[in-house]
Amino acid sequence: MKRVRRLVVLVLLALLLSGCMQRPTSPTPTLYTQLGGEAGVAAIVEDFTYRLADNDEIVVFFANSNIDRFVTSLEEQICSISDGPCVYSGPPMDRAHQHMGITDAHFNALVEHMQQTLIDQDIPPGPRNQLLGRLARLHGEIMSLQ
Amino acid sequence: MSHPPRLASLFCKRLVSGMGLLLWVIITISPALAGSRLLGTGGVTQIEGAAGGGLSSWGVLAGTASEGEWAVTANRTEARLDDYRLAVSGVAFNWQDRVEVSLARQRLGLDTLGGDLEQDIHGLKLRMVGDVLYHPWGIWSLGVQHKRLDDGSLARAVGADSTQGNDIYLSGSKLLFDAVAGRNLLVNLTLRSTRANQGGLLGFGGDEKESRSLVAEGSVGLFLTPNWVMGMEYRQKPDNLGFAREDDWQDLYSAYFFNKHVSLTGAWLDLGSIAGLDQQRGGYLSLQVAL
Repeated sequence: MKRVRRLVVLVLLALLLSGCMQRPTSPTPTLYTQLGGEAGVAAIVEDFTYRLADNDEIVVFFANSNIDRFVTSLEEQICSISDGPCVYSGPPMDRAHQHMGITDAHFNALVEHMQQTLIDQDIPPGPRNQLLGRLARLHGEIMSLQ
Repeated sequence: MSHPPRLASLFCKRLVSGMGLLLWVIITISPALAGSRLLGTGGVTQIEGAAGGGLSSWGVLAGTASEGEWAVTANRTEARLDDYRLAVSGVAFNWQDRVEVSLARQRLGLDTLGGDLEQDIHGLKLRMVGDVLYHPWGIWSLGVQHKRLDDGSLARAVGADSTQGNDIYLSGSKLLFDAVAGRNLLVNLTLRSTRANQGGLLGFGGDEKESRSLVAEGSVGLFLTPNWVMGMEYRQKPDNLGFAREDDWQDLYSAYFFNKHVSLTGAWLDLGSIAGLDQQRGGYLSLQVAL
């Protein structure tokens, strides 16, 4: 009985986990397309930037920034990171953020704003979580020179 | 002698109304008090008081505190099995997502055998490396749980070696983005060194095995939405006592995070044989409030 239960649990685990391994074989649209292409990414970046501006603890980091340049640069980066037809031409992430005094708390706040932006921009869960996952990977580089 | 039960029920009523009040306060206060970590990244509270699922400890630390922040969580858990009922009250403190200190009090009502068993658990968990969302290897924490039985006479009578013990565990947790049907999957693995019989409620070590056992705990949870996670847990257990067999524990759970301050977890438990009474199954409900 115990063995059977163990087996059932193992099979269920395997089924659940197998979802991670499978990738659709048919050609799927790029993440960039799923985010709505150029217009979609522009809308995401605009919405996100307004949220940052409304956050007192975050907006101070932009005191000496050119917001238009930030917007262009972020659009380009999201386009590039989501396999869109762009090449990110801005500075590397570690140098762009070095010695700014960014803590994990600030980073978390940014991720939360991005998550809510994607939800409010009606990006479906799949592309939303995929983009969040790709952006989350930048954490190490962004925090390396703090 | 009807005083103790009456007192107990009065205590429970007070606890419930107290928690209700606390809940109201927490829901109405400014969300600025919440930590910055994302919803659900502190897990819920496991039955020994640490941040985890229901049965197993996870690598994450309680609440949503991050660098420069702190968090306090309080929880109340009830489980009803065929022949037993478990009640746990606990608090946990998280400092800068680095250290978690927890305190839990367990009470196991022996509905069929008669009487009850009570145990205090003092827990400490340290985040050693990583982050559940951002680090490619997830978050890894080292924890210790010091457990002390109130009255060890039953544990001694069934062959336990001692009435207090320390569990030492290593836990890792990692969120896999866009893993299943576009949803994020949380995976947890824990290795625990323990002498505890039925988590310690039947003492530590026994006539069949006195020494420590290395046991594993694993769980997965799929975030159906950012607020709602469903999954399963499996927890290996030692089998130290000759008088009765001890089985591994498992559950299917669903946890809903109303916001960063309130979560409610429901689970279906299968705890196997406990003290000679086989097939202990039942429901589990746990409320966590957090500052």
